[in-house]
Amino acid sequence: MGEKFRALWRKTVWAWSPESDRESSEAIVKNFWLHWFPAKVARASMDWNYSFWLGTASAALLLILTVTGVMLMFFYVPSTERAYGSIKDLEYAVSFGRLLRNQHRWAAELMVAVVYIHMARVFFTGAYRGPRAVNWVVGVVLFLSTLFLSFTGYLLPWDQLAFWAITVGTSIAKQAPVVGPTIQFILLGGHEIGQQTLLRFYVLHVFFLPVFVWILFGYHMWRVRKDGGLAAIERLRDTRTMVAKATPKTKSYSLFGITPGTSVQVMSSTGLEESDQVFSSPNMSRRIALVFLVVFNITLIAALMFNAPLEGLANPSVTPNPAKAPWYFVWLQELVASTTIRLSGFAVSGALLGGILLPGILLAVLTLWPWLDRSPRSAEGRWLAPERKRQNATFAVATILIIVLIMVGVYLRGPYWKIYWPSQPRPEMPRLY
Amino acid sequence: MDRDRRKILRFIGKGSVLAAFLAQIGAAGRAFFPNVLYEPPSRFKIKRPEDYPDGYTFDPAKRLYVIKQADAFHVISAICTHLGCNVQWKDTEFDCPCHGSRFRPDGTVIGGPAPRALEWFATTVSPDGYLEVDSGTEVARDFRLIVGKGKA
Repeated sequence: MGEKFRALWRKTVWAWSPESDRESSEAIVKNFWLHWFPAKVARASMDWNYSFWLGTASAALLLILTVTGVMLMFFYVPSTERAYGSIKDLEYAVSFGRLLRNQHRWAAELMVAVVYIHMARVFFTGAYRGPRAVNWVVGVVLFLSTLFLSFTGYLLPWDQLAFWAITVGTSIAKQAPVVGPTIQFILLGGHEIGQQTLLRFYVLHVFFLPVFVWILFGYHMWRVRKDGGLAAIERLRDTRTMVAKATPKTKSYSLFGITPGTSVQVMSSTGLEESDQVFSSPNMSRRIALVFLVVFNITLIAALMFNAPLEGLANPSVTPNPAKAPWYFVWLQELVASTTIRLSGFAVSGALLGGILLPGILLAVLTLWPWLDRSPRSAEGRWLAPERKRQNATFAVATILIIVLIMVGVYLRGPYWKIYWPSQPRPEMPRLY
Repeated sequence: MDRDRRKILRFIGKGSVLAAFLAQIGAAGRAFFPNVLYEPPSRFKIKRPEDYPDGYTFDPAKRLYVIKQADAFHVISAICTHLGCNVQWKDTEFDCPCHGSRFRPDGTVIGGPAPRALEWFATTVSPDGYLEVDSGTEVARDFRLIVGKGKA
């Protein structure tokens, strides 16, 4: 009997703890969960302090959010009458419901941050040039989708915070030239936030956007492999004499190699020396599991320590003072609040300038950066390469400006959106609801 | 000749299937523009004129201010022209809590990001003696609805 259990256990885990090189490579072919990895990967790609495994951490957060999100769906009712009550029930009537909601909330906010830091890492290592430019754009779309997922989820508790953040957010959309009012109308499903809006945001949040992000994530991973991993070859180029292999070997993925040409190429790790490679299982699979566990525990500890905010029931007639957007949109709120330009009685709305045009330009520059970048390709795959001083400084300055705006919005803005230094007393605002 | 006929028939066949497919996508998209809105009407009754005290009174349900000066009434929208928060009357001016816009008592902009003055709504007295507001019709800033004292 014990022998049988041992055999079963062995059969279950062999792919994850192979005991020979043969078992390692067989694991990739025979295990469904591992088959999307290459048999071998560059040892350099495993470095903790090159990538900080931020992409893997983002994916771990996406998985945590999907699972906790689906569980929350069993308790949440997307109706203006019952939404708020079902959140209250999660907090007070459902066993561990509050923990579940907390974890979903903190994982969501962490994901916005981690995805951005992941993007910053790719930028500072210059790993978005050449064929990787496509994946950079895919990454930007994934970042935007993360923000939009967060935004649609923000409305669902149907509390004051939710209601007014969405009021402000959709009013910004309305300021877009020509199509603005139509965009707002179809987002809201009417002229004001109501049942239609809640249902639309709900379906976007629990189905449309997650499915979109998962598919795009799959493509993102696929491209990582096709484009040659984490710039490992570029990184080793300096330390190895790879004269003969200056151009990494490519491998065709066509069926049996019959298809002519190089339609789907792999800048594969076969361009590396044998000694520069390791088996994916267990070297990569174990690290991925470790990253997942660490990320999971961080969100769990955050969920145990801090409660997700929930204000009073949504009330269209009372605007909280001050009403603030979620922290990752507060910098936009700062722009929106301070960019109205007046020229002899004619005013350009701050919402148009700060809410649409400026972020639109920022986004366009961010997306097209791989093509605007003229730094030498030799700087690829190195942290803060001196040849890229200007590029890195630009990104850092923009990031710092956004962080400063967020800090001002979150910590200094008091009633009526006035600046209050921490030493200044804030007037007690009557709570009108 | 035969070839051409086949080509045309094939084109019509494939084309009609494709057209039907695209039309269905269009139809599905059109469904997202609601035809019926369960929203309150833009023309509505509020309280009777005599129910309002002198000065500025906020109507939270309709998000507007009713201003009574002796027997003259006018109604100003409480929805900030910037991003739609409710402005608050502060004795001498309207202040917006969201982004700090400020408006004069007549709704014109003092400062902050608001691009336009607060809207003034057409107001009448309904046959049964209530103030009736038409939030779909804007009026000029000299609009006053005079309600005779004898009427109350």
